[in-house]
Amino acid sequence: MNPFATSRVGRVGPWLGIAPGLLLFLTFALIPAVAVVGMSFTDISGMPNVPWTWVGLDNYRRFFSAGSVAANLDVVNRTLIFALSVTIILNVLALLLAVLLSGRLRGAALYRSIVFMPVVLGVTIVGLIWSLVFNPTGGPAASLWSSFGSSSSFLGDPKLAFTLIIFVQIWAAIGTTMMIYHAGLMAIPSDLYEAARVDGANAWHKLRHVTIPMVAPAITANMVISIVGSLQTYQIIYVLTGDRPTTSVLALKVFSIGFGTSEQGYAAAVSMIQFVLVAVIALVLLSYLRRRETQL
Amino acid sequence: MTVLHDQARTAGRLTPGPPGERRRRQRTPWRLVNYLLAFAVVALYLLPLLFLLNTALKRPGEFSADPVGLTDGLALGNFVDAWTQGNFGALVANSVLYAVVCAAVGTVLSVLIAFPVARNYVRWSRPLRVLFVLSLFLPNAIVAQFQLVLKLGLYDTRLGYMLLMTAGLGVGPLLVMGYLRSLPRELDEAAAMDGCGYFRFVWTFVFPLCKPVLGAVFILQVIGVWNDIIGATIYLASPELRTISLGLFTFYGEYGNNQWELLAAATLIVAAPLILLYVFTQRLFISGAIAGSLK
Repeated sequence: MNPFATSRVGRVGPWLGIAPGLLLFLTFALIPAVAVVGMSFTDISGMPNVPWTWVGLDNYRRFFSAGSVAANLDVVNRTLIFALSVTIILNVLALLLAVLLSGRLRGAALYRSIVFMPVVLGVTIVGLIWSLVFNPTGGPAASLWSSFGSSSSFLGDPKLAFTLIIFVQIWAAIGTTMMIYHAGLMAIPSDLYEAARVDGANAWHKLRHVTIPMVAPAITANMVISIVGSLQTYQIIYVLTGDRPTTSVLALKVFSIGFGTSEQGYAAAVSMIQFVLVAVIALVLLSYLRRRETQL
Repeated sequence: MTVLHDQARTAGRLTPGPPGERRRRQRTPWRLVNYLLAFAVVALYLLPLLFLLNTALKRPGEFSADPVGLTDGLALGNFVDAWTQGNFGALVANSVLYAVVCAAVGTVLSVLIAFPVARNYVRWSRPLRVLFVLSLFLPNAIVAQFQLVLKLGLYDTRLGYMLLMTAGLGVGPLLVMGYLRSLPRELDEAAAMDGCGYFRFVWTFVFPLCKPVLGAVFILQVIGVWNDIIGATIYLASPELRTISLGLFTFYGEYGNNQWELLAAATLIVAAPLILLYVFTQRLFISGAIAGSLK
């Protein structure tokens, strides 16, 4: 019960305080998110004052139409590959990194904050740093390649570019994931390791039978955060290569269709397809991990 | 959050390694391997930055002649050239304005939402909490947002951009709610009993008591606005409204092929405030941000 409710201001105060933030959130975040559904059934464009009409399922039909379905399913595929590989590699490495940098080493806190730095620097800077490193005309990566007698145009190489993007995304995002695992590790009571040691457990046993079960809730949180995040992220791809047939993902398509060709009705439909994908994967993963948590 | 954090800290202090191993000293080869691995990881993060710095200090043309070698001189002129050619003065002023206003307003609004909701002082507290959690999973609404902003006549205005960036409060209220759980409710009751009004209580007690998490919320928002590139690309068409990240990206389009010395200097100019901010506040916002996200 609200103890301030004895006065009139005390009764309406909480709502008065909530109102501006909530209004802002409803107007600019929630309502647009719902309106996307409606927009996906129109042929609205990004140009102001151009009339629009309802077109039913045309936008969805167009996405799956004979002419474009192959390319579009390619994009869906790439979105899934990106999200799954980022999520799995990111979480495995982040957990190992959190164990490695967990305070036994001198300077561990400093190392952790160095790994966290790209999170602060943001996509534009991270993207430019790696464009420089992968500069094909003699960046450090090119020198390394040539010392093995090989050469590559890196981000310009249609086969390699996407792999490099996955690498950069993991490099940039691992700080947050590692920190969440670190917090989980710190909460494990030390007697568990003591008991394991007495029972003759080696490092692998301790990781498998003490650490991993004990950080299971953090694993669930991290997996869900990273799969949802990586299904929706496209900024790093935009900065590194732009929207290319070999590197594009659904979210980048939404942006480039909506603001390149300005076909915002169609872009809204692609948004919805992306949303369904995110929702299904997140829910399945969440229920699976929750069940695993209790079994571990 | 504090509870968790304090536990974490004591646990950390009691266990410099699995107990017993301290006395035994960890077997040296493993220790060495651990250090080597840690240094490799640190190198993977610091070398690209150092390479950026090295490039920024090269004389024009030196990069294409010898990209990897250490710079001969300290061509600080690159920073001046990048600053003037990219017109960074105006861009930085815009970004500082957007970042500070959005972060300050966003932080205050986060507290005003989080406090009564966390304490169940309003009806529908639970649905509100769920709403903010769900907001992290909403569909990609950039096209609908654009239509709305267009209709409201806010396209290509500072106000429109700032409203949008503030509305993406996202985790702010959630972080504060998580933190408020560690503050005793008795304080509210005692203050109310003594006749302290609602807003005075929020202002003189809740704000100061939440300082650590508010620091985190503020800085996360500053970083978000400073680094935003998509929103700035969509909504800020006029050159005089543009942000520094957008400016840097445009600069990349112009100089990315041949003048990496300038581009590296420009990148460092944009990164410097973030790095400074990070160095001075990292403890605060790593703990605040992380503990909150576990909730």
